[in-house]
Amino acid sequence: MLKSVVRVVGAAVRISSASTSTARAMPLSCPTLCSPSSATTRPFTRSLWMLNSKGASSDYRPKLFSSKALNPLVSCGCGALHTEGDKAFGAFLSDEIKEEAKIQKSTTLPKMSGGWELEMNGTEAKLTRNVAGEKITVTFNVNNSIPPNFEEEEEAAADQGQPKSAAAAEEEEDIVSTPNFVVEVTKQAAKHSLVFDCHFPEDEMSHGEGEEESDIFAIREVSFQPEGETDWKETSYTLSTDSLDWALYDHLMDFLADRGIDNTFADELMELSTAAEHQAYIKFLEDLQGFVKCN
Amino acid sequence: MGVVLRNLQKVVPLRRARLRKDVDTLRHILGIHKFDLGIVCVDNHRIQQINKIYRKKNVPTDVLSFPFYEDLRPGKLPCPLHRDEHNLGDIFLGVEFVMKQCKEDSLDLHGTLAVVTAHGICHLLGYRHETEEEWTEMLQKESYILSEYNRLTGRHLEPLMKRCSQER
Repeated sequence: MLKSVVRVVGAAVRISSASTSTARAMPLSCPTLCSPSSATTRPFTRSLWMLNSKGASSDYRPKLFSSKALNPLVSCGCGALHTEGDKAFGAFLSDEIKEEAKIQKSTTLPKMSGGWELEMNGTEAKLTRNVAGEKITVTFNVNNSIPPNFEEEEEAAADQGQPKSAAAAEEEEDIVSTPNFVVEVTKQAAKHSLVFDCHFPEDEMSHGEGEEESDIFAIREVSFQPEGETDWKETSYTLSTDSLDWALYDHLMDFLADRGIDNTFADELMELSTAAEHQAYIKFLEDLQGFVKCN
Repeated sequence: MGVVLRNLQKVVPLRRARLRKDVDTLRHILGIHKFDLGIVCVDNHRIQQINKIYRKKNVPTDVLSFPFYEDLRPGKLPCPLHRDEHNLGDIFLGVEFVMKQCKEDSLDLHGTLAVVTAHGICHLLGYRHETEEEWTEMLQKESYILSEYNRLTGRHLEPLMKRCSQER
């Protein structure tokens, strides 16, 4: 929605600059266009009148947006739009970045135990490890990795008009990223990898109330996929754990545990993902600040 | 009909398949395979929390049982009318506590977990050890269960009650 609003504003500006030589939206207080008695008391009506009127000049085209608040505020010579809103936005972002930097635990990502090598590609993380000739790869993306519970609880508290207690404020800082992750196990000279689609069950995330009774992580699907291929082969049989024999499921979990994918790994992955997501969020705010200030 | 197994801890490397198989063997021996059962493996911190809340004992322990049917006569299986009631309850295994005991006594962890689970299932079936009489009855039951288990698996497990009675 944000993008379409920007396009509409941009279009209005282009229309106004094409139609007059000054390329500037006329202020409401301009004496040549409005009578003193009506401009200040009913600005919106004046705008509509201007839109409908043929005007003194045949070349004159009234502007779609003539509110003073949306007048461009040129603060540099870059030619881009700089509004009062942009200025306020930039100031807000500056504060937000400072606050986020304060609560950031570290500027470097936490290390995983067990000899995992980490590779980041934007928001995607890849952990790799070799175990007795087998290559184990764990991939996850920090996008959409924060469970909706955090946002819902804040909104619920705000709706009820509850002031934030210190405990709530502290809890607000403990946002945890729980990304889905894919484990690929590849044996030497094998054509296929055994691929596990894993996740953190949502009912486990009850914010430390001590009532969790789900496994820390769970396997959702298992499949053989061609080794080295990035695209998922839809014609490979995919085992879903929804209605799986529980003994088979336990064997699969033991299989992963033998390769270092256990509860300790899952906890560390959450920490890594949380730090990476926070880092990406701060970078995004900084990029947004730069974009808003001057493109 | 099934055993729901959960591992909430990361202190002890647990073999889920082995634990499930042992629990299934115990269920077969006791004739309770039609009943659902929950087994939750936790660390000292969690088991101590639960012990404190439900038994007012602020210490970790090896097993805590939460029976679905609270007033069963020892050894008498419930006769549920509805499918939802084919449930014996939940057993919390303090695996970290058990691991420490195994290290001290040079015992196999998963064998000891089978013994502890047998003890927990007996509690779900109404067995207690508050009085001398109850103690004897429960010890007899555990001895029977584990002798059958040993016969089926070739292992040599001893009842938890027997170990406790040696310490008394």
